[in-house]
Amino acid sequence: MVKKILCQGYLWLLLLLLYAPIFIIMIYSFTEAKVLGNWTGFSTKLYSSLFVAGTHHSLTNALINTLSIALIAATVSTLLGSITAIGIFNLRTRARKAISFVNNIPILNGDIIIGISLFLLFVSLGIPQGYTTVVLAHITFCTPYVVLSVLPRLKQMNPNIYEAALDLGATPMQALRKVIVPEILPGMISGFMLAVTLSIDDFAVTVFTIGNEGLETLSTYIYADARKGGLTPELRPLSTIIFVLVLVLLVIINRRAGKKKEA
Amino acid sequence: MRKINKWLVACACALFSLTGCYNTESRENVLKIYNWADYIDEDVLAEFPQWYKEQTGEDIRIVYQTFDINEIMLTKIERGHEDFDVVCPSEYIIERMLRKGLLLPIDTVFGKTPNYLHNESSYIREQLDKLSRPGHRASDYAVGYMWGTAGILFNTDHVPAEDAGTWASLWNLKYKNKILMKESYRDAYGTALIYANAGNLEKGKVTVEELMNDYSQASIDTVEKYLKEMKPLIAGWEADFGKEMMTKGKAWLNMTWSGDAVWAIEEAEGVGVNLDYEVPAEGSNVWYDGWVIPKYAKNKKAASYFINYLCRSDVALRNMDACGYVSAVATPEILEAKIDTTLSYFSDLSYFFGPAADSLPIDKVQYPDRKVVERCAMIRDSGDKTELVLEMWSRVKGDNLGVGVVIVILVSVGVMVVFTVYRRLQCYRHEKAQRRRRNHRKRKRK
Amino acid sequence: MIFSAVFVILPLLLIVVYAFMDDAGHFTLGNFAKFFAHPEAINTFVYSIGVAIITTVLCILLGYPAAYILTQTRMKYASTVVVLFILPMWVNILIRTLATVALFDFMNVPLGEGALIFGMVYNFLPFMIYPIYNTLQKLDKSYVEAAQDLGANPMQVFFKAVLPLSMPGIVSGILMVFMPTISTFAIAELLTMNNIKLFGTTIQENINNSMWNYGAALSLIMLFLIGATTLLASDDKDHNEGGGLW
Repeated sequence: MVKKILCQGYLWLLLLLLYAPIFIIMIYSFTEAKVLGNWTGFSTKLYSSLFVAGTHHSLTNALINTLSIALIAATVSTLLGSITAIGIFNLRTRARKAISFVNNIPILNGDIIIGISLFLLFVSLGIPQGYTTVVLAHITFCTPYVVLSVLPRLKQMNPNIYEAALDLGATPMQALRKVIVPEILPGMISGFMLAVTLSIDDFAVTVFTIGNEGLETLSTYIYADARKGGLTPELRPLSTIIFVLVLVLLVIINRRAGKKKEA
Repeated sequence: MRKINKWLVACACALFSLTGCYNTESRENVLKIYNWADYIDEDVLAEFPQWYKEQTGEDIRIVYQTFDINEIMLTKIERGHEDFDVVCPSEYIIERMLRKGLLLPIDTVFGKTPNYLHNESSYIREQLDKLSRPGHRASDYAVGYMWGTAGILFNTDHVPAEDAGTWASLWNLKYKNKILMKESYRDAYGTALIYANAGNLEKGKVTVEELMNDYSQASIDTVEKYLKEMKPLIAGWEADFGKEMMTKGKAWLNMTWSGDAVWAIEEAEGVGVNLDYEVPAEGSNVWYDGWVIPKYAKNKKAASYFINYLCRSDVALRNMDACGYVSAVATPEILEAKIDTTLSYFSDLSYFFGPAADSLPIDKVQYPDRKVVERCAMIRDSGDKTELVLEMWSRVKGDNLGVGVVIVILVSVGVMVVFTVYRRLQCYRHEKAQRRRRNHRKRKRK
Repeated sequence: MIFSAVFVILPLLLIVVYAFMDDAGHFTLGNFAKFFAHPEAINTFVYSIGVAIITTVLCILLGYPAAYILTQTRMKYASTVVVLFILPMWVNILIRTLATVALFDFMNVPLGEGALIFGMVYNFLPFMIYPIYNTLQKLDKSYVEAAQDLGANPMQVFFKAVLPLSMPGIVSGILMVFMPTISTFAIAELLTMNNIKLFGTTIQENINNSMWNYGAALSLIMLFLIGATTLLASDDKDHNEGGGLW
């Protein structure tokens, strides 16, 4: 019993540590001070100014762009990554090592190098930069993470199941869908989550592939904002709102999944 | 697998073709602006298309993009050939762009629209002209937007004004760990060199302008020495967050720019911290941001009209209020708006506003007195000496560890690598032996 | 595969080309020589590796127990908590780091190396927990039961059965944590007030000042060293796995 409490306690302590800065953001979103850490009295002015139509229209634009790019890039890279993982798994050792290495290069390279190399690539190919190039760039560096999430699952999967399915008369496509996919689905989901996280946070790659059509994501907006005149205080309520929304979503999904399981 | 690959390629092609599809409007009706963030009044941008239509009868749509670092902006234009129409770089980048032939001259003929470009203060124009190249006068290519000085932002409760009035305060042991220095090699270089030559400056042997742009080996070595002396005394090097830390009272001295100082003083008042800003007596740096039209611009006409629009008194005033910096436009309207009769001191601003403005009550942080400006100089582009200066800078910033720790880490990494290789070799030999045994057994059976 | 070829190999080749060129466009090894000639560059590099190693080890020590505990509880509960771990990452890194600075300020902890390590671990812990959790979830319980039947005590069960089988997850985690730690510059900048310079900052400085050749060379060195180590390590792992299952 003690062991159980200790375990749970450890988990919650870790979570608390992880969330402490987030709580600070939430608390300080209720004050008007421009600097995070100064308290000038309780006020919800930042929230109201966020919702007034017209002001901070570029901030909301940036947010929408960020979310759409993240979702598209994450979806495509999850699919691509899963296929690549299956492909790697089926290869012989030498080819497997080589392709694994190529796959891991974006992780090993560091984001700024990926940014400028893709920038050079797009410039030399003459592709006009903008939304598409940003999505492609994000797919490039998210895919390796998906592969790394799915591959261990594949390695642990019992290889005979696939052959058993084939023996029982399923076509390869059916076998894929009904046997392999459920096995790697948790890996795909966690890869998807990782990809979304990376895409939302990314700055270095985005800033180089963003082109000149006025496209902005949340991270380029924030970095540019920080240079002159200090960070826009409205970012605090914005982050709080996003965070709370996602949390609520999570609880709802969890409740539904729980009900399904019980049923 | 191949089917899926073909599908993906098809999708990619579709995406690419889509991006080309929406160009139904002519490029002449689009104005691409590339500026710092928070550096313009958003309403001004919103009203420009209407003004443009009134003046020329044409429609215009604004595409507004922000950048955070000068050099990235330059990279995009120089290497990426991005077709921005009007850009706002700092003065040394303007110099670099002019040198590399990346700029187009600004139109000065506007049809029936009055030419507001004359509103730019002649002082700013003269300063910009110092960046000229043979055959290309800088003020034909650039119009000043905002300007300011560099100096010391200090906490008046802990630092007396006389201390803050000299660069020596940054090297003062009294303020150990309460000093913040700018994470910018250009500013740090100028500061250190001026401080090092304080005596020479006083005797008149050398001017601030000469020092600011002296990149001789001897000067670089002097700067290195002084910066390394400063390093243990400061709390840290900051790029953007120094002003915020000052408002929290975490530091008492910060080398920063006048625009940031104005922001910090105001914000600090709200939390009860008293800050002030001084330009040290030895001399300092004066900086300008200006609008230019890059070579790859496709809508030079609208760009010139935009720059013209920004030089209008009322527009300049609104921009100043929105971003907190000081405009390069010097008209009587602005002078009137900025006079603050609650102030007890008077400044001589005749160099900026004209001969009538020699004794005005006006905020000294935003509009420095003539004597202050006379001891400030522009930091020019260091050109091919940049690499040397950067090397010096990384020598100053980079000594994190004692040599001993470095060796320890290297040795431990080396041991790990050797260990891994050894195990791999062992496994390989093991497997080889097993294979041999297997083959041996097979042969025996046969 | 085609995708990888275009978007991974081509840019890499471009970087390689840049690294071997100098300003005039001639082939030169000068960029690499420059790195080895500058003790402070090597100093920064080794220091960054040190920080990365410490961060990775801490992440493993903190993350493994967390993932393990998560797999012992009921399913519905656990999967939510796992997502809860990655949720803070959705707030932008700059704001998060600023909040960490404010947190330290609040608790009167001085900024510096300790803060840096905390910030790094904070940022990368979810990336370590996820792969380990995934691996542990699918662990074949029969191995554990077999070990217990054979009379091993819980300690031995863990070290001889569970740990080796979860190695793939740990390796994935290490890969996802080690490299980004070296290349992140925002955290070092804010949490140590630029007093400590990491290798990522060096590369960024060079790129920002248009010294792309040197920056490209630096990153190639990094890629080469880390890549070589990874290759060796993964080789070893594949073999071990084979050995473990026999």
